[in-house]
Amino acid sequence: MTLDQVNDGFPFVIDSLSARGEIRKRLVDMGFVSGAQGTVLRRAPLGGPVELRIGRSRLALRITEAQKIHVAASDA
Amino acid sequence: MRSVDTNSRKLPVIALAGNPNAGKTSLFNALTGQTQHVGNYPGVTVDKISGRTGLNGRNVELVDLPGTYSLTAYSIEEVVTRDFVLKEKPDVVVDVVDSTNLERNLYLLLQFQELGVPVVGALNMSDEAASQGIHIDVKQLSKLLGIPLVQTVGSRGEGKNELLQAVFDVLDERVDTSERRLNYGPELEEKHEELMVVLRTDLTFSERYSLHWIAIKLIEEDEDAVRKVRTEHAHAEVVLAEATRTVEWVRKHFGQDAEVVVGEQRYAYIRGAIREAVQVDPKRKGQRDPTDMIDAVILNRYLGVPIFFLVMLAIYALTFLLGNPLADLVEAAVGMLGAAAGNVLPEGILRDFVVNGVIAGVGGVLVFFPIVMLLFLGLSFLEDVGYMARAAFVMDKFLHMFGLHGRSFIPLMVSTGCAVPGVMSARTLVNPKDRTLTVLISPLMMCGAKTPVVAMLCAAFFPRHAAIVFWCIWLFGWGLAFVLGFVFRKTLFRGEDSPFVMELPPYRMPTLRGVTSHMWHRSWSYVKKAGTFILAASVIIWVLLTYPRPEHLHAAFDGRVAAVQQDAEKKLASPHLPADVRSRLENKRNDAVSEIRAEQRMKEAEFSIAGRMGRFIEPVMRPAGFDWKINVALFSGVAAKEVIISTMGIVYGVGEADPDQESSGQRASPLKDRLRADPNYSPLTVLALMIFIMVYVPCVATLAVTRKELGSIKWPAFMAGFTLVVAYVLAVAVYQIGQLLT
Repeated sequence: MTLDQVNDGFPFVIDSLSARGEIRKRLVDMGFVSGAQGTVLRRAPLGGPVELRIGRSRLALRITEAQKIHVAASDA
Repeated sequence: MRSVDTNSRKLPVIALAGNPNAGKTSLFNALTGQTQHVGNYPGVTVDKISGRTGLNGRNVELVDLPGTYSLTAYSIEEVVTRDFVLKEKPDVVVDVVDSTNLERNLYLLLQFQELGVPVVGALNMSDEAASQGIHIDVKQLSKLLGIPLVQTVGSRGEGKNELLQAVFDVLDERVDTSERRLNYGPELEEKHEELMVVLRTDLTFSERYSLHWIAIKLIEEDEDAVRKVRTEHAHAEVVLAEATRTVEWVRKHFGQDAEVVVGEQRYAYIRGAIREAVQVDPKRKGQRDPTDMIDAVILNRYLGVPIFFLVMLAIYALTFLLGNPLADLVEAAVGMLGAAAGNVLPEGILRDFVVNGVIAGVGGVLVFFPIVMLLFLGLSFLEDVGYMARAAFVMDKFLHMFGLHGRSFIPLMVSTGCAVPGVMSARTLVNPKDRTLTVLISPLMMCGAKTPVVAMLCAAFFPRHAAIVFWCIWLFGWGLAFVLGFVFRKTLFRGEDSPFVMELPPYRMPTLRGVTSHMWHRSWSYVKKAGTFILAASVIIWVLLTYPRPEHLHAAFDGRVAAVQQDAEKKLASPHLPADVRSRLENKRNDAVSEIRAEQRMKEAEFSIAGRMGRFIEPVMRPAGFDWKINVALFSGVAAKEVIISTMGIVYGVGEADPDQESSGQRASPLKDRLRADPNYSPLTVLALMIFIMVYVPCVATLAVTRKELGSIKWPAFMAGFTLVVAYVLAVAVYQIGQLLT
């Protein structure tokens, strides 16, 4: 499952990234590393970016970026 | 003076770094007080703010580095931070850490340690962390990381003496921060060590850089580190071959790129340290984070966009409701100064130069100052409170359809006030591509200076639909900006989108100090940049409109004036004239004289260089319906758009037209009457003219700021070029198609 498929309000655990280059580096720097826990908070209107919490940070990603983050559902 | 100078050169340099939103600015303000000054980092447009601070009579120079999350080489801010640390070699780096978000903030702290620079961590906003139930064992954490840590509250200046003491301890080598405690894991450590052995073969290189850092960056395939080795290492081939082998090995062994592996190791290490040194109270039931509650409304799927527009409207209302009266005051003061200078100086060329060239030019800048300042005040507030990122979040989808970024909206919106702060506020766009694109289309907005010009033309030629036509032109600016943005994205700025990974910081009440210092730095930058250029341009325009002077015509005009005065003198000589008749006669005489003088100015303008240039390009501008008089006014508009009205006043022989009076619907307006009476003007010409004015070459201040912001003369040149071409094509199209239809 990729991050864009997680419903609003649901927690997840990061498995791996299929991004390359600058996007991946940015994601890693912001804490998108395997095992990190997060929650999808909400989405912007009309298929805009998605807001999520990762660790203690609140971040926004575009759907195209979220599709490159593989996650598993979490119950934490 | 000299002793101060030598002292400051000897002062140890302390660099202040940290994540965006970690409270770096307030800590910097608390430490440096009034000693700040703004400079520039070489080659880039990030402001370099530095100041002085000290403890017990011992001083240091503190340099504020831009906020960054990491030390890769992707964004301008990161490169600036990295290069400053590597090249300027500050004596100590103080990394400001947001105590409420240790995990991600320590990530940067560790990278400074990896870089091999003495580093001290300021655990900032420790009060907020405590109130969130985050208890940090500072001693323990400091021991685990091998970095001195001090708790601070930047907004109140708490802990600043302790922080300085820690800095001095490092400076005096009482504390050693060189030992890296971060461990990349046994296998990676071994490979890292092997790479360092190869790197050590060049002694000069080893002295210049921290090999620890170069080695790990090579494993991470960092382009900048690879470039440094390629250009500076004596055995670059060997090193790079070894690095490639290591990268391959890691990829095979871990099943992932080294970059990811190293990032994970750093985070794993940090998590381990936090587990040992930080205790977090379990959340009380029903307790909700205030930021979450606010976001539930502000970022609501249906309310988000309307709220965004309300916020923009509020900033606008504040700017113009407060700004316009202030601008009027400034204008009145400039007018009085002009009148005073007019009285003191003898009539002639010098007076004309001082009043119409210099004072008018300076006034042009100062009149916009209150509005620019208030715009910056509003923006600084929104930024400090944490709303800017939300605005980008809400608007991103719409803007992305045109190839723009969510953060592009604010600069465009600000440009509808003035393009200069608009261009400056494009700094929030991290990616250079997005930023350049946004800057290029910003001047297409209806700015505060174009407004009176377009409003005057609307009122003169579309009296019944003036408001509607005005708003259509206003919207036309936005529409064209989006269309051209899209075109540029598909042509000049092709390629993959920059990543949209943006932090939505917790809402915080901004400090007055923070907002005002922010505002001052930017407003001052406006005055310096815009001021000099508008002044220079206005002097040049004055010269072009004044020289050469048609001396041969002066006698004829003086003769006519003398005749009128003689005639009036005769009539007024009769002693039994009733008072009302007398004053009527006097008024008539004055009107007649000023009419002759206005006609003289018009003839002078026609004879001047600008007038000749206007005539010269007339054949080119004819297809758009413009005659030489319009051309002259358009020349002057390059200095500042509002000048178009006063220049029109000159070339149409009505004297200096007052922009306020002319752009309002009612009162007497000689310029409008004159324009309406001119056979060259039809509503169609005016439509073409308004479109041309909206689009063509931005004012010099905008061009100057663009050069400063984008760091190359190439961009303002391109900006002037494409706007001129697009304006011409559109104006001609409107005029020609319109003529076919009527």
